[in-house]
Amino acid sequence: MKDIATANLDEMTPAQFEEYLPELFETGGGKISEDPRFTNFFKANPNCAALVSDLETIAEQAKSLFEPTHEPSDSVWSNIASKLQDGAGKEDQDS
Amino acid sequence: MELQGVPSMQTKPNPGFFKRNPPIAGEAEAIELAKSGDAEAFSRLYALHKRRVYTLCLRMLGNVSEAEDMTQEAFLHLFRKIGSFRGESAFSTWLHRLTVNLVLMHLRKKGLQLVSLEETINPSEEDAPRRDFGSRDTMLAGSVDRVTLERAVASLPPGYRMVFVLHDVEGFEHNEIAAMLECSTGNSKSQLHKARLKLRELLRNPQNLPLLKDFSEPVGQKGVGR
Repeated sequence: MKDIATANLDEMTPAQFEEYLPELFETGGGKISEDPRFTNFFKANPNCAALVSDLETIAEQAKSLFEPTHEPSDSVWSNIASKLQDGAGKEDQDS
Repeated sequence: MELQGVPSMQTKPNPGFFKRNPPIAGEAEAIELAKSGDAEAFSRLYALHKRRVYTLCLRMLGNVSEAEDMTQEAFLHLFRKIGSFRGESAFSTWLHRLTVNLVLMHLRKKGLQLVSLEETINPSEEDAPRRDFGSRDTMLAGSVDRVTLERAVASLPPGYRMVFVLHDVEGFEHNEIAAMLECSTGNSKSQLHKARLKLRELLRNPQNLPLLKDFSEPVGQKGVGR
């Protein structure tokens, strides 16, 4: 992983910038799109600004998936209950 | 946490998980009763956590039938091992780790024996995100709605989907994911980045995304397997 601290932003190409993104997203501690270090770079490279903004949106929206949306069918609990009754759980608990 | 055949995970407290997994009313009592074999308390724990565990399995496996089987396995394991839960992390975090480990073990049994996911996690070139800096990039229009994002996540190649779900949805840290997937943290970060790039690509054409009812492709049959 590359460290942006040692990079020359004035001469950086979009492809080079992208190589820093995985680490930047991890260590940025905030929104990369609002980081003043990149203001000029984003002005000169609007595609990179769009990319960063989109990736931030995706990461943010992913949190909304944390709450579950799906439910198992009733047969799942029936199977569990029946296996527990048959002693499947107890067997291993004792082992 | 010691599970038969399941790699044990560190259980150091993680404040982030307590934030995302606040205690549920009645859960602590149910855990204590379930530890002493109270079947009613165990069924209460199932009712409290079945949707989260099943959704996690479904997202990781992309297949309803396998997700139900793994949900069943996860709760049977929970019943056997609940005595070892000591409250060092939120119960749901502990349960999710247990579930993730079981799903990964299931995937390895299916066709990934003795093969590190680091070698197999990378999807084929056609599945990888395209690099198109040459042309004008358009931004995603407005915010991404939850249903569309869910459909896009379901369309990700399995390796990308795994890392994205574990990190961005479930909130695991890269070092935890690396331990679970037996890869380096750098690889986990890189896969997450590629997953987000691929999602961006998919979300630009939401009309092409499959409906959620099409969760039907077992992971071991494409992408992760050899």
